[in-house]
Amino acid sequence: MLFNSYPFIFLFLPAALLGYFALGRFGNLLPVIWLALASLAFYSFSNWQFVGLLLGSIAFNYFIGLLLIARRLRAGTRFAVLAIGVAGDLLVLGIFKYAGFLAANLNALFSTGFSVKVLLPVGISFYTFTQIAFLVDAYRGKVAGYALPPYALFVTYFPHLIAGPILHHRDMIPQFERSESKRPDPHLILCGLIIFAIGLFKKTCLADGIQPLVALAFGPNTPSFDQAWIGALAYTFQLYFDFSGYSDMAIGISLMFGIFLPLNFNSPYKARNIIDFWRRWHMTLSQFLRDYLYIPLGGNRRGPALRYVNLMITMALGGLWHGAAWTFVIWGVLHGLYLCINHAWSNFGPAIGPRVAPAANLAAFALTFLAVVVAWVFFRADSLSSALYVLSKMASPSQIAFGRGEMADGVFIAIYAGIAWFAPNTQTIMGYDHANRTVGGALDGSRLRPLFLYATAAVLAFGILGIQQYSEFIYFRF
Amino acid sequence: MNRKSGNLVSEKVMLKHKMSAAKNLLRFLGATAFVSLGAAALNFVVDPLQLFRPARLFAAMYSPDSRMQDAGLVRSQQFDTVFMGTSLAIHFRQSDIDRLLGVKSLKLSMTGSTSHEQSFVIAAALERHPKRVIWQVDDWIFRDAAEVDQDIYLPADLYRRNIKGVAGYLFSGAMARESAWIMARSIPPLAPLVARLTNGVMFKFPISRVDDINILRPEVDVHEAYNAKRTADAFRSITDPVRSVYLAEGYQYEAMVKNFETDAVGLIAKNPDVKFDIYFPPYSILQWVAMRDASASMLQLVYDFSAYAARRVAAFPNARLHDFRAIAEVTHDLGNYADVIHHSPAVDMKVLSWLAAGTYAVDRATPLASLERLKAQVAAYKAEDLER
Repeated sequence: MLFNSYPFIFLFLPAALLGYFALGRFGNLLPVIWLALASLAFYSFSNWQFVGLLLGSIAFNYFIGLLLIARRLRAGTRFAVLAIGVAGDLLVLGIFKYAGFLAANLNALFSTGFSVKVLLPVGISFYTFTQIAFLVDAYRGKVAGYALPPYALFVTYFPHLIAGPILHHRDMIPQFERSESKRPDPHLILCGLIIFAIGLFKKTCLADGIQPLVALAFGPNTPSFDQAWIGALAYTFQLYFDFSGYSDMAIGISLMFGIFLPLNFNSPYKARNIIDFWRRWHMTLSQFLRDYLYIPLGGNRRGPALRYVNLMITMALGGLWHGAAWTFVIWGVLHGLYLCINHAWSNFGPAIGPRVAPAANLAAFALTFLAVVVAWVFFRADSLSSALYVLSKMASPSQIAFGRGEMADGVFIAIYAGIAWFAPNTQTIMGYDHANRTVGGALDGSRLRPLFLYATAAVLAFGILGIQQYSEFIYFRF
Repeated sequence: MNRKSGNLVSEKVMLKHKMSAAKNLLRFLGATAFVSLGAAALNFVVDPLQLFRPARLFAAMYSPDSRMQDAGLVRSQQFDTVFMGTSLAIHFRQSDIDRLLGVKSLKLSMTGSTSHEQSFVIAAALERHPKRVIWQVDDWIFRDAAEVDQDIYLPADLYRRNIKGVAGYLFSGAMARESAWIMARSIPPLAPLVARLTNGVMFKFPISRVDDINILRPEVDVHEAYNAKRTADAFRSITDPVRSVYLAEGYQYEAMVKNFETDAVGLIAKNPDVKFDIYFPPYSILQWVAMRDASASMLQLVYDFSAYAARRVAAFPNARLHDFRAIAEVTHDLGNYADVIHHSPAVDMKVLSWLAAGTYAVDRATPLASLERLKAQVAAYKAEDLER
């Protein structure tokens, strides 16, 4: 089921909210079970064949977690249990996500004629990662015992289940256990609705609106120089508004249930360097990769050379996490390379004087954006050869179409760029503070400005009116 | 006592905050409903597709998106003949069809359409009781494709005018934008400016005359668009070993026969009072040569399917098949084409005159004669000396 669909907005969400708050009168457990069941219903609506896999994954990880938390095991045995748990998760992920890719590569190398076609269970990358983090923390002794219902809800919680944000058990499970969240709070519901409205508008009006321009570069026709740039930039903004729109909607929906989700975006295209970009783009994935891959690999603790190696490994695997294709690996490697250059520049580059700082900042911002756009070409293209083809067109100014259509497209791109670069982001507008569990402080009570209220109501209306047809989120396929 | 009164005050403040937030929540939901209903009202009044009534208050405007536009055309236009097809039948002018065939036509052709889509749209048009259907048919439209309710490009419920379709039309932001634009275009002081700003890039309804829907744009240089070099280039492109595998994609005889029976024969049999003129369009000979050279088995499949279709159509007294595929003076003159299949406006005119005269109507007694002529031409054609 999609957030940007009438059945979700007008049926599923109101029913889930009503059931949750109605059962909240009878204690803390029933609403949690209700929400977990609602989340399974949400998942099964379009992925019914993988509900068993999801439940099996929850049972397996909960059991391994219990062994690590509750049993007094020897160090070696504990490590073996962890290894079994993580290996089990990675094996399932590998079978469903990477078996086809591996077979295709073996086939290309050895002409085996062997091919594997496996349907990708939606959300598997996300719920596998959240549970690996749980197991690793359980091994590290950082997890108290959790009851099964809140744990199951932590994994299945429908606002995040399909495309994140990647949740952390220490953040979420205590919230599920709080009794306050089981009582309806009109302020949180209103703020959640407004955040949901902004996300829905980003998806249905902005991301879906610019999507046709992407075909200029990645469609069947040979693009000219300007068309290739328009297509690449259109994808750059489509992806941002699509994914950040989804994340806003997830945060907004969750807030209606009184649960604060972590932020996933912080105006990434305003970044002045790639390190900054990765602190702003898909923040929960960056944090996961840092805490559970980069640091365990050694991080920056084993000298500068190994730090760069660790960065490259982390980003290449981060790329592979997005999809089983070489284009994603190259995208990850490219970002790894960018990060290495960025760190090297920070360590060895010249100091920038205050007089040239504004110009240098502008250049850094432009260079960062350009580097990100180039990498997105690999992320979007169907194959390495088509990515290189689009990039070659972007580097061939001799062929320029620049007709009436391209001019109109250019205006579209400029508007999107203006929003991404200069507009405040959702958390700034709403005063959303995940750490302190506050939101909408400036809008509270009598201070609420009517104009803001009506403007955001119009945004929700436009978002709903923008729902035209089945339009999946790009990150569903990861 | 003090603590008690303090708690009471704090509870009162909390309650006041909650009440205020609840009021704001209701205001927010009310305003959302108001804006949504406003957009629906605007769409109902302007009715860009003329789904509820022919345009009177505001100037009629039309969209080149024929899958959507046809839903309105079948309701708003007067016609006695339906003209259907794919991109090969998209550039015809209704006025030319009317003049040459002596009918009042409605062109409903849809680029890249499948037999499911075409059959569904024709069926919707037949509810208005036309006398005749002229149907340009390609073999590939009968390949397996999504049913109309799973087809994201065809708004099937809009044709059915059920609650889902009408609600989707009225509560559409994109349609409200078009409605506002059409409304602005109908205000006399604004009309010239809005008309100048109207183009297909920004707005979906840029066409002011129904006869101009999807015709070849006036600025197109016909000689530049249709010439032998382009046709030869297209031939080389589709026969490139990298791409030629796609030529045979989706061709399955049983599925095509099944879809032909459901979508074409079913419609013909269900409407015995309607005359069906079905025609196989004049592709360039290179289309057949490409199939011959890339996949002989696929060519045989297409021949077999053609033979089946010809025999089946011949069995119905209300249907007549016209086969233009073996007219060598057209199909061998590569200057008539923009690629290996799409013919020029001059050939459009010839198609209409052939249909009017019945020049290439297939004899019911020998339905495969023209197919045999085509097979001989394809077998004999040599593509080595094509223009570069």
